[in-house]
Amino acid sequence: MVRLVAATVIVCALSIPAHATVVIGADLGELARDARAIARGRVVAVDAQWTPGRRTIETLVTLEVESYLKGALGETVQFRVPGGILGRFRSIVVGAPEFAVEDRVVVFLGARGPSVPYVLGFSQGVFRVVRSGDGSTWLVTPPAILPSAAGSVAIVRGDPSRRALPLSDFEQRVRALVGGAK
Amino acid sequence: MSSWFDKLTTSDTSGLPTLIQYLQAATKTRKLENTKTKARKFFSWFRDLVVSCLKTAVRMTVPKWRIHATRTPLILSVSKDELRRAGAILLASLLILGHTQPALAYVKFGVPVGGRQVTLKWAQTPVRYFITDFSIPGVTTSDLQGAVGRAFASWQAVPTSAIVYQFGGFTSARPGDDDGLSTLGFLDKPELDRVLGSTSFLIDNATGALLESDIFFNASFAWSVAPNGEAGKFDLESIALHEIGHFSGLGHSALGETELRAGGGRRVIASEAVMFPIAYGAGTIAGRTLRADDIAGVSDLYPDGEFNQTTGSISGRVTKDGQGLFGAHVVAFDPANGSMVANFALNAQGEFSIAGLSPGPHVVRVEPIDDADLDSFFDPDRNVDIDFRVTYHDRLVIVPRGADSGSIEVKVVRK
Repeated sequence: MVRLVAATVIVCALSIPAHATVVIGADLGELARDARAIARGRVVAVDAQWTPGRRTIETLVTLEVESYLKGALGETVQFRVPGGILGRFRSIVVGAPEFAVEDRVVVFLGARGPSVPYVLGFSQGVFRVVRSGDGSTWLVTPPAILPSAAGSVAIVRGDPSRRALPLSDFEQRVRALVGGAK
Repeated sequence: MSSWFDKLTTSDTSGLPTLIQYLQAATKTRKLENTKTKARKFFSWFRDLVVSCLKTAVRMTVPKWRIHATRTPLILSVSKDELRRAGAILLASLLILGHTQPALAYVKFGVPVGGRQVTLKWAQTPVRYFITDFSIPGVTTSDLQGAVGRAFASWQAVPTSAIVYQFGGFTSARPGDDDGLSTLGFLDKPELDRVLGSTSFLIDNATGALLESDIFFNASFAWSVAPNGEAGKFDLESIALHEIGHFSGLGHSALGETELRAGGGRRVIASEAVMFPIAYGAGTIAGRTLRADDIAGVSDLYPDGEFNQTTGSISGRVTKDGQGLFGAHVVAFDPANGSMVANFALNAQGEFSIAGLSPGPHVVRVEPIDDADLDSFFDPDRNVDIDFRVTYHDRLVIVPRGADSGSIEVKVVRK
């Protein structure tokens, strides 16, 4: 009881839990292979909640799916991400994705058993769909890290060929990777 | 032969005669060994950086220089007259860039409080931490305490930082519990694939004060506490070192390079910061050593009495098409010791500031973060510009002792 009271006092006085992570790097091929589903869509709801036991905050993200590049989990799909905003409390996870209503994204989702899906590799499994500068087309950012076809290859920053891909090109590449992974 | 950059350590004029003297002596050898005595430790791109920078300078000034980009060291073959001209060029750079301004802030975690940003840091030391009394196969709680203790000791040993940590004992509390204790331990998180560890904070929203921080290590992975590492297992001390950097208030650094593996996936091939967000592979202990970028960061957060007087900073802005550029990664390289410290252009004006630099000349490189998950560095609603080419500032920038370089501008161009 003393512990519970102490926790309550502390939580009432605080508002911004944050997190940070160290991850294992993945390329687009690994993400495509490991994903239970790959969905493109629009975020229509973001609902933070306490985890069981009120230990920390997680967020349920509802995506209105426009297209599946792999698998199928329905016209809308919910997935969870660590952290979120709940009343006076905010949990931030560095390296984990954050979502807002109306975001347009492609998400690589994992799932274990009947549980709510999660994003693979934290922010590595999220690609954002944005308008090009002149508004003429949809682009996918960040630039995809495509698997190497010829041995180990250093990833060089500033490579002129590394740009945000048009959405159609990105989807074509992902579908090819999914097909190759079968 | 020591580096000629070694002779230039401050912005005051006392360094100039020393430089001139050294250059005069060096002309007798007709060969000038550059500062790359530790070059084999550098990134391959960094070798290219120095070469490219020098070539650029050569084209503009001394076209007859012959530069050989060897593995290490980098050798410049120069004539006596050419070397004298080089001295004149460097002196001109000193005179132009050697004035001083106050340093700005370093990259750290910040939280909004009452419309202003408050730096996330511990207000009091020693910072007490507890270890969860939960072991995993191959790693006892005692092993965990040992590895974590060594990682804390590494941060605490930074001579220019005043932070102190203290082990408070074992606890049944779990990392992540909001209980007022800063707790480190294992949690089984199989759903967090590719996530080795995580740090959480509890913050007083009224003041921004950091009250609690927890670290968990993902028990779904195989861990090692062996002195030299173990094949197929991640080094607990290395990951703890990274997470304790967060625990202390540091964000991620982009000073690292990865490669695509033939069999799929990405591998870290070099890193100049423990705070690089992607881990070295299993079986290595390469991540146990703090680098200049880490040291600058923690020292800036918790400076001892000498830090601000013994180091300096570089500030300026990055522009593209005449406009400020948000999100550019700006790297300062000290050729005298091979260290690198970096920061980002963090506002719409493209302004940046890199603190905690060793006094002396630095090479400045600006690069896009087009190989990373931007969410790992920036809020998702920030419009990070990655459409530009790597660019070097066209002059050496002199970092004065205890002061700022004065604002520089680095103009980049689209890809």
